[in-house]
Amino acid sequence: MTETEEVPVKALTGRRAELKHAYTLYKQNPVVVAGSIIAVGSVVLALLSNVIVNPNIWQVEQLGLRLCWNNPAFSWPVTNVFDCPGATYPLGTDSWGRDLLQMIILALPLDMEISLTIVVSATLIGVALGSFAAYVGGKVDEAILRVTDIFFALPALVLAIVVMTILGRTIMNLTIAVLIPWWPIYVRLIRSQVLSEKERPYVEALRSTGASPIRILFLHILPNTIYPVIVQMTLDIGNVILTFSALMFLGFSPNPLLPELGNLVTEGISYVFTAPWLIVFPGLTILIVVLGFNLLGDGVRDVLDPRLRR
Amino acid sequence: MFLLIFVLFAISLIVFYMARGALPPEYSLAPYITPRMTDVQKLQLAQSLGVAAASCPSYQAFSSHDPQCVAPLWGQYVVWLGLVAQGNWGYSQLPGLAGTARTWDVFTGRFPFTAQLAIGASIVTFVIAFPMGIISATQNNKLPDHASRIAALVGYSLPIYWFGYMLQIVFVLYLAVGGKGLFQGSGALATECAICFSSPGSINTFTGMPILDSVLSGNLPYFWDSFLSTVLPIIALSLATLSSLTRIVRSSMMEALRQDYVLLARSKGLRERVVVYRHALRNAMLPAITVSGVIFSTLLGGVVLTETVFAYPGIGQAIVSASLVVDINFLELYVLVIASILVITNLCVDMIYAVLDPRIRY
Repeated sequence: MTETEEVPVKALTGRRAELKHAYTLYKQNPVVVAGSIIAVGSVVLALLSNVIVNPNIWQVEQLGLRLCWNNPAFSWPVTNVFDCPGATYPLGTDSWGRDLLQMIILALPLDMEISLTIVVSATLIGVALGSFAAYVGGKVDEAILRVTDIFFALPALVLAIVVMTILGRTIMNLTIAVLIPWWPIYVRLIRSQVLSEKERPYVEALRSTGASPIRILFLHILPNTIYPVIVQMTLDIGNVILTFSALMFLGFSPNPLLPELGNLVTEGISYVFTAPWLIVFPGLTILIVVLGFNLLGDGVRDVLDPRLRR
Repeated sequence: MFLLIFVLFAISLIVFYMARGALPPEYSLAPYITPRMTDVQKLQLAQSLGVAAASCPSYQAFSSHDPQCVAPLWGQYVVWLGLVAQGNWGYSQLPGLAGTARTWDVFTGRFPFTAQLAIGASIVTFVIAFPMGIISATQNNKLPDHASRIAALVGYSLPIYWFGYMLQIVFVLYLAVGGKGLFQGSGALATECAICFSSPGSINTFTGMPILDSVLSGNLPYFWDSFLSTVLPIIALSLATLSSLTRIVRSSMMEALRQDYVLLARSKGLRERVVVYRHALRNAMLPAITVSGVIFSTLLGGVVLTETVFAYPGIGQAIVSASLVVDINFLELYVLVIASILVITNLCVDMIYAVLDPRIRY
């Protein structure tokens, strides 16, 4: 009809505008979108794995089906490839006769769960200690820095191996062993952020109104310094999977039958030139999952970069 | 310097307490026992090492974890420090050695191989990453940039051990280089492979590193064989560090090229090459040098995986065997050496950084 009174248009402001802008930036970057699809896809697959695949199948050995390959789409330049009787196994079978594709799907939730546990715990410990050290300053800050220096003097894998040697071989000990070298990174990260944020005028204003240090730290400083931590967390999910599966590969797993990506590669060591699919496909899965999280982390960093914000 | 001493003491204390506190007392004694000792001799040795209390009645009481028979941990630590200061790290418990070789000898025998891998991988990393990062930054958002970014991301996400096996599969199965025995030691010490292709005679040992020693001894077939045996492990090892260094060089070069002085240099009419290499690169190198300490740390961690995959006789392989049999002394020695290497590297990096950046003066 005819235009009547002016309809006031509600402009997007503040947080909603930032998120919309961030989403626009995100959509413009195809590589990041691919990475987030991979990452989200692997999480969804991990959550649904017990529905897709029978979760008890990794304990069943079918020796008649060992090391066979009957996927017609690809053939290996290996002599004496045993053809599987019965059903088609798209990725072949392993040395206990279990379907490799099902093993890989079963391995995803374990890897994801442990990786998330480690990353979240490392972040909590690191952020707590780091922000405390930065805010309090002085001797406490020095002491915590020296402690992180000790942990930075050894590569993560070496420290994890040392811890695993002394503790037994269980999943809980593996989680602790990878957590121990990981938390100091977050301490340093949050410490440098909080140190620079602490000098801002608004912190002084808050202090002068009588806000308690804990309130200032958690309600005001931390939300402004959290972005690098989020980026690091996303990247670390992939890196922890790499370290953790490397530990399993080296032989620290509690059960050689356990469906875990590094463990599946260990099975294939004796058959490198006779059944190469045992190593190729689990490793390829690790590569794809870690690549997805690394791409996602890069994208998050690009999107949340303060210099690109309006 | 004080940092080095503090870190070494702290690490040795932590590892010592964890190891000897969590494990049964026989493990502490095992590296010092020769195979034919009687129980009386073992008890005397345990008491002289400070592992067993002086009042311990018998070796059976000691090994049954009688709490009055085992000396307190701080006392054991002091005695252990004394032994280590004299160079006595006990006998190696690694499989295949059966306590015949001293831990120190095993370590120093294997260390040059790992050094060879690490030095080779560092050279490859720096030689390839800098040009790639510079090309990526100067051709920003064009095809070489995208290609190298994706390659760097893939290299950064690879599991090293998988890549090592993939290299072996490609070379042996698809390119038909060498037979099945190539690169495949069974993991036991005796069949590890530093010369995998032929038996080219012998060399004199100068540094312990086969590549250098063979050149110094004039035995060129040996050099060629050891070079070929080292190439694939170096490629596998350096891919991850190569990728992260490329990304850092790229981002710091892009940062440097955005600066005002680059605009001035271009407007003065300087050639692009001079602008990039003489002006921008010098300032872009600083973050890359800072991160080289971290890269070296990643290399030393990756060495463990690479040596296991290629059955390469270095200390990375040995630490995996040592953790299976819980050889505490080897563990301590390895940890202390790696820690001192990394702390010294970081100190050198800081000093180089202070020299290169005139804004920093201690």
